[in-house]
Amino acid sequence: MRETRLWSWHLLVIPIIIVLLGAHFAVMHYAPVFYGVSVEKAREFETMIERGKSITQFVLYILLLAAALYHGLYGLRGIIRELPMSPALGKIVDMSIIGLGLFIFAFGTYVTWWTFSFKIGG
Amino acid sequence: MNSNKPAYNNRLGLKGWVYAGKYTFERYLYLGHRLTGMGLIAYMLLHIIETANRMRGVEAWEELMGLFASWPFKIIEYLLFAAAVFHALNGVRLLMTELGFFLGKPKEPVYPYSSSIKRHRPLTYIIMALAGLIIILGGSSLFFP
Amino acid sequence: MSDKTITPREITFRVRRFDPDVDSAPHWSEYRQHVHDGMTVLEALHQLKAEQEPTLSWRSSCRMGVCGSCGMFVNELPMLACQTQVLHLGTDVVTIAPLPNYDNVKDLVPDLAPLIEKHASVKPYIIYLDQIEIDEPTGEFIQTPDQREEFSQFTHCIKCGLCLAACPTVATDPLFLGPQALAQAYRYTADNRDCGMKDRIEAIDIFHGPYQCHLAGACSQACPKGVDPAFGIQLLKRALVLDNIGFGKKKSSVAKVMPLADVVKAIDEFAPPPRTVVK
Repeated sequence: MRETRLWSWHLLVIPIIIVLLGAHFAVMHYAPVFYGVSVEKAREFETMIERGKSITQFVLYILLLAAALYHGLYGLRGIIRELPMSPALGKIVDMSIIGLGLFIFAFGTYVTWWTFSFKIGG
Repeated sequence: MNSNKPAYNNRLGLKGWVYAGKYTFERYLYLGHRLTGMGLIAYMLLHIIETANRMRGVEAWEELMGLFASWPFKIIEYLLFAAAVFHALNGVRLLMTELGFFLGKPKEPVYPYSSSIKRHRPLTYIIMALAGLIIILGGSSLFFP
Repeated sequence: MSDKTITPREITFRVRRFDPDVDSAPHWSEYRQHVHDGMTVLEALHQLKAEQEPTLSWRSSCRMGVCGSCGMFVNELPMLACQTQVLHLGTDVVTIAPLPNYDNVKDLVPDLAPLIEKHASVKPYIIYLDQIEIDEPTGEFIQTPDQREEFSQFTHCIKCGLCLAACPTVATDPLFLGPQALAQAYRYTADNRDCGMKDRIEAIDIFHGPYQCHLAGACSQACPKGVDPAFGIQLLKRALVLDNIGFGKKKSSVAKVMPLADVVKAIDEFAPPPRTVVK
């Protein structure tokens, strides 16, 4: 694939990451500032499950996961492949990064789905 | 040159990413962006694994959250926050400049030469000042809520 | 410039030496030499060679910042030796090493072959669609001053290779096309006479192309001609992105040919004033 296409996606996901990661920080780390709830409360199991059961949160988390993984792993691939290596090794790096990304995405999606479908008291 | 001996490999290697000479600070922003980026992706992968701990039940989750509430983890959390703020704001600068904005227009070079790096330096200063401010404010609300 | 910096005095030159026939690794040698105001690093090297070290090697030619032969790493920055005045460096010890990121052939001589190969690989010439017009021209291409301004800055490249010596990506990635070639790719792509984006994409739209430039800006700081290669690379990225989404240079925006008769008319209109001195 043309590198321009890969790089354009690397840029296109930036606004998504900024907005959603900002929201994630606000909810998890700055709950007292934005919601008047202590950080401890925001991180309690019950609160976390309650948040995770919202369909909006479910969709946004998957979106953030995909965007951040693509942006981060594309950057990491760039850094690794700037090291001297043969084209064959470069291909192996590319494949490994894609594999790692897909695995983490599948795992993260599974955890998010687990939270979304969690039955309280069940 | 009649020598059959090989030339000396003078490539700087990884050292060239860190220090290669008396260059301006933009070269260190490049390094900072790279280091914070690597830190953030490493953390993200750990974070996904670590928060999956919820599937082991309430107790396992609360134990982990208790650990994160301790001071060493608060400091790590702050460093992570600072890295994210730097990477995000410097990233916004790069997003705009790497698409050719804020760099001025091409023009016939006349000594003393101007450069796109110098021309967008005011933007760089503003972005870095903003990053510094957010990092300080973020720290104060994290440590002294 | 303070008085101290231009006061003629003894300067210590730390020069990196390497002879592939004798040395397995480079070493440093020191020489002391009287330097006068206005003396360039290149002149100082000539004097050193004449008076103290006849085996000292470097490459130079025009001694006026045009040929791009005498690039060296002076006081930890890539510079042209011929347009760097020793006293303006402001130090009593001047270190001179060969350009980093190139193979070191001998003493201060870098092997610039990769620079030239990368330059050639981006098709640094105008590619016009109408081959018949190229083979049998019927006129001249029309180009306005504004259209020329789009790329004229990048035509000043003298291929000295200082930019590659400064680039952090080149420091590890030998396949990275580098600031010089990429800026030249933009220079031709931005030319309204050129239709070569399609041909050039194969060479530049690759992993080791413009996206491995992360705007460290060192190439533009090093460039001795004000070419600003970092700028060219960012504009190239924009051109590639626009081309990718279908907003690239349209065929209709490519230079038209002005018939020879009109060219002759135009020449008459803009004829130079009559001679004031008669032969």
